[in-house]
Amino acid sequence: MIEIKHTLCPSCSVGCGINVILDNEEIVGTFPYKRHPVNEGKNCLNGRSSVENVEDELAFDSKVLDDAIGKLKSCNNEKITVVFSGNNSNEDLEAIKSLCESKGFNILSYANNLKNFDSVASYDDVENASNLFVIGNILYENPLIGRRIVHAKENGAKIYVNDDLENSPTSNIADEFTSLSVKEFLENNDFTDDSVILFNKVGSFEDLDLLESANSKLLPVYSKSNSKGALKLVDAISKEEALELLGNTEVLFIFNDDIVNEFDFDFKSIPQIISVSPSKNDTTEIADFVIATKSWLESDGSFTNAEDLTQEFSSVCESEKMGIVEIIEKISGELE
Amino acid sequence: MSYILARSSDNAILEAGECGGAVTSIFKYLLDEGIVEGVLALRPKDDIYDGVPTFITNSEDLISTAGSYHCAPTMVGDIIQKYLSDKKIAVAVKPCDIRSIEELIKRHKINPDNIYTVGLNCGGTVSPITGRKMIELFYDIDPNDVVSEEIDKGQFIVELADGSEKGVKIHDLEQQGYGRRNNCQRCDVKIPRKANIACGNWGAEDGWTFIEINDEKGQSLIDGAKSSGILETKNASEKSIEARSKVEGIMIKMSNKVQNAKFDEAEDMDVWKRCIGCYACRDICPICWCYENCELNKPYFKEEINITPNPIAFQGVRLSHISFSCCDCGQCDDVCPMDIPVSLIFDKLQKKYYNRTGYVAGVSDDIKPPLYSPDKVEL
Repeated sequence: MIEIKHTLCPSCSVGCGINVILDNEEIVGTFPYKRHPVNEGKNCLNGRSSVENVEDELAFDSKVLDDAIGKLKSCNNEKITVVFSGNNSNEDLEAIKSLCESKGFNILSYANNLKNFDSVASYDDVENASNLFVIGNILYENPLIGRRIVHAKENGAKIYVNDDLENSPTSNIADEFTSLSVKEFLENNDFTDDSVILFNKVGSFEDLDLLESANSKLLPVYSKSNSKGALKLVDAISKEEALELLGNTEVLFIFNDDIVNEFDFDFKSIPQIISVSPSKNDTTEIADFVIATKSWLESDGSFTNAEDLTQEFSSVCESEKMGIVEIIEKISGELE
Repeated sequence: MSYILARSSDNAILEAGECGGAVTSIFKYLLDEGIVEGVLALRPKDDIYDGVPTFITNSEDLISTAGSYHCAPTMVGDIIQKYLSDKKIAVAVKPCDIRSIEELIKRHKINPDNIYTVGLNCGGTVSPITGRKMIELFYDIDPNDVVSEEIDKGQFIVELADGSEKGVKIHDLEQQGYGRRNNCQRCDVKIPRKANIACGNWGAEDGWTFIEINDEKGQSLIDGAKSSGILETKNASEKSIEARSKVEGIMIKMSNKVQNAKFDEAEDMDVWKRCIGCYACRDICPICWCYENCELNKPYFKEEINITPNPIAFQGVRLSHISFSCCDCGQCDDVCPMDIPVSLIFDKLQKKYYNRTGYVAGVSDDIKPPLYSPDKVEL
């Protein structure tokens, strides 16, 4: 019997809704969620493909979890680093943070050199801005915020785009296009109260201070669905700091992240890698211990999106596997 | 073709259903008699703006699908061909739904013997978020307080829990950029005559559904439902038939006016340059059924990443492939992340094809898809 259920898209921080189609409880596709206020039934290719990743699902093996706990017990806590990824729900992140704080593990909280800003522009602010300053190819990489830029242009806003790509969907709608450093871009433009700077990448961590000092509302657009939620719990570190931390790590403990794909680092130099993941990825390929967990489709929880809106989601299908909170409860109990 | 008025003999359905609950009663008859395995109909999930196609297999659950949901612009053609093609089903269809089903039948993707189609006359649908915004703006009502809505006599009417109603002229809403979806404003097929029966309130007396019986299968539906005791019918008066025809005529005239005003905008390149090549329009198109083997997916056709996708090549292939069969459902517009009015050019070309051949996608009787039809060999 077919059934259509609501959930949230996990593919970036925009916070789109997506419907999942189940046929006899097996996920077979997606369906537009037109009632969702963020995206009104529109999803990008990544969003629509997000359910396909579940096909590479991992099987849970309690012995692997026991062995991984044994490894954690045998290592100096100061040499254990936990990857605090925006792929996890707020509820899972709370549990991960609590584990790290109680045991004194290091936390690697990294979001593509972006950090949390206490106050951010809303998507409505973007649509109603008089001037929009766009850093990065946001129409292509985050299309459902890109759509708000299109609306702003239709509403009469002037669009300034700063990016490496001169020929892209984002540069196509620019009134002015530049390929400057963030610093130069900010120095070359004037900002007003009703302008918004949107960015999904910066050159360095220092650029964030410059952005913060500009007289404009800001909207950082993160690459992971709950990066905003993660960064509200734990401050981000820069790429350089992250690399240094990885270099001093003896056990890298990764919750639901493909960090190997993200950093140009020799992960094989780390003595032990434990990856908790719902599906196969490059990180699970090289990990010493792979602990299967529920995917977001099999979990209840919440994500906080780029505009700081926290949205709840419910599981769309059942799973026998342990969720991250359960795994952490077991680890905490064993490490007592 | 014949006309009747019908209503439910079941008090619960009579109360919950629109215009006498005839549609829900016919579905109940089909399920209870084991004629179909399930019924595909809309059911509100979170609220009345959130109609979701739902496959009902127990007739007791049908009551939850009763009513009309104009703020749920769904499409069932592709759901049936992908997930229900091996089942005997009944389905509620708007004109664009049945048009897509007809085109899929011509492509051997849906077996007509497996499906009972109960048509719903349609003056158009409203996007849920647009609907909520316009209720706030033009009705001065919290959209969460609305318990039902309908389109009648040129107005979009909302009803509150206390029974009070408020209506605003659709023309006025659309002048302000609200109201029905753009494709619905252009659509000139208002009565789904390819469905076994076409139901609605146009021309109906209060508490009754006006039904046009379109074929033998439709007649057997009505006869069977009557025999089972769940449906009561009476003849439609000449006055009713005339009133319904008048409504249809007015709506088609309005649509033709919008077509003439809008078709010139179809080739606006500034809009097409927004395309990010996400293929959402292709993947949602109910007619474009072969997408998993689509040539557009082959490596030779791929554009270099981050280089602006070329809408001329991408949409050019799609236009040459299926524009003749476009049923103007507007799903491509709905899912485009860049708000490109994709359906406008497809609909425009379908109308050009109609002007040349007389073929209306999903309405004309050809046994094969356009370009393959023996009726068009002279082309």
